[in-house]
Amino acid sequence: MEFDFTPVITYFPTLLKGVGVGSLVAVIVAFMSIVGGLLVAVISIYINKIVSWPLRFFIWLFMTTPLLLQLYFLYFGLGEWILIPAIFVGILGLGFHYMAYNADIFVATIKSVSNGQYEASRSLGFGHAATIFYIIVPQAFIRSIPQLGNNMILMVKDTSVLSAIGVAELVYASQYAISVSFRPFEFFIVIAAMYYLINIFMELGQVWLERETAYRR
Amino acid sequence: MDFNLMIEVTPLLVKAAWITIDISIRSLFFGFFIACGLVFLQSFQFAPIRWFARGYISVIRGTPYFVQLLLVFYGGPSIGLRLDPITCGVVVGAFNIAAYMSEAIRGSIESVDSGQVEASRSLGFGKVQTLVSIILPQSAALMIRSIGILAIVLIKNSSLVSIISVVELTYQAQRLIGSTYKPLEIFTLSAFMYVIIIYAVMGIIELAYRRAMRYTTL
Repeated sequence: MEFDFTPVITYFPTLLKGVGVGSLVAVIVAFMSIVGGLLVAVISIYINKIVSWPLRFFIWLFMTTPLLLQLYFLYFGLGEWILIPAIFVGILGLGFHYMAYNADIFVATIKSVSNGQYEASRSLGFGHAATIFYIIVPQAFIRSIPQLGNNMILMVKDTSVLSAIGVAELVYASQYAISVSFRPFEFFIVIAAMYYLINIFMELGQVWLERETAYRR
Repeated sequence: MDFNLMIEVTPLLVKAAWITIDISIRSLFFGFFIACGLVFLQSFQFAPIRWFARGYISVIRGTPYFVQLLLVFYGGPSIGLRLDPITCGVVVGAFNIAAYMSEAIRGSIESVDSGQVEASRSLGFGKVQTLVSIILPQSAALMIRSIGILAIVLIKNSSLVSIISVVELTYQAQRLIGSTYKPLEIFTLSAFMYVIIIYAVMGIIELAYRRAMRYTTL
């Protein structure tokens, strides 16, 4: 057995394009899952039971079933009514999946903000909604950063699963090159290395962000 | 909802769910021993051995399970590693979860107060004896909890084995969706099965956790 990395070098631009698509998906999903997760958490805590029950069910359902099953469901389920590109299905699926995980974190951190904060804010003349958005949520958000960071690192790794429904990210981008060059080992080693590199940068970013926000907690 | 269809496909999905359970249990079993080995390697005085263990854990945790699976299944034959799909799923699952699990085991051992070790050593217990009869019983509860969480992660990860054509729950569900064009029915059924499996695991963990809590000093 000998290794031949020349096809990897030849197809490197394709792989980089895959990294680009993957990063784009990851950024959109990160935004969607954090904002959506926060909304879901706030609604499920503060609004009445009729609204919050379906949302809790949603969190629970997305946390107890595997991502791939959810992706298949969305891909084939949505495909029945409208034809949308795989990348949107991927963003929706991954977004909902991590929205549920993030909502779970936000529920815990919002509840961890002391009740005295709410009372103090109300007695200073803030309304109910203003208290939630200016006093409670910012404090809860800062406290959520370490766990959000972990989730986002997991999420970036999970973008590789989107290749199963045909999103042209890194793994999918390599499929053609592998089938032409017959060098799966070399390609997957390089792909793994790329993911590892991205992961290291994200971990460094997480450490930096945690240090920057530590004094606010 | 087409209930006749749901009744019709249930046996197929149950059969596939057994494969999911089978792969997960076997990965967990082997993964536990690999994890113990990794914890052991990290306690070596000789630094390169510790670096090897740390490096392994870092690389496994830093790369997607999905890529690891594809690397071993499609790339394995070119370095002389030919595995059938199910074995590949079990092996990659075990080596993957071991990296996470060794951190969990190490964390739970380190959570025991160091005063316990000193007290035990000064009372004349040997190193191994201290580990077995003082530290492990006290860290058992925490260890069971964190291994339980990893077991659930493992069950959900096992769905990715469908990519290398193991007919487990997700693969069967996808195939049935493709042939019946009834995604909602099939999704409901297969999600229900994952829920049952995961809740069964959570129940077992809770029982074991309560039993282990007797030995903690917290």
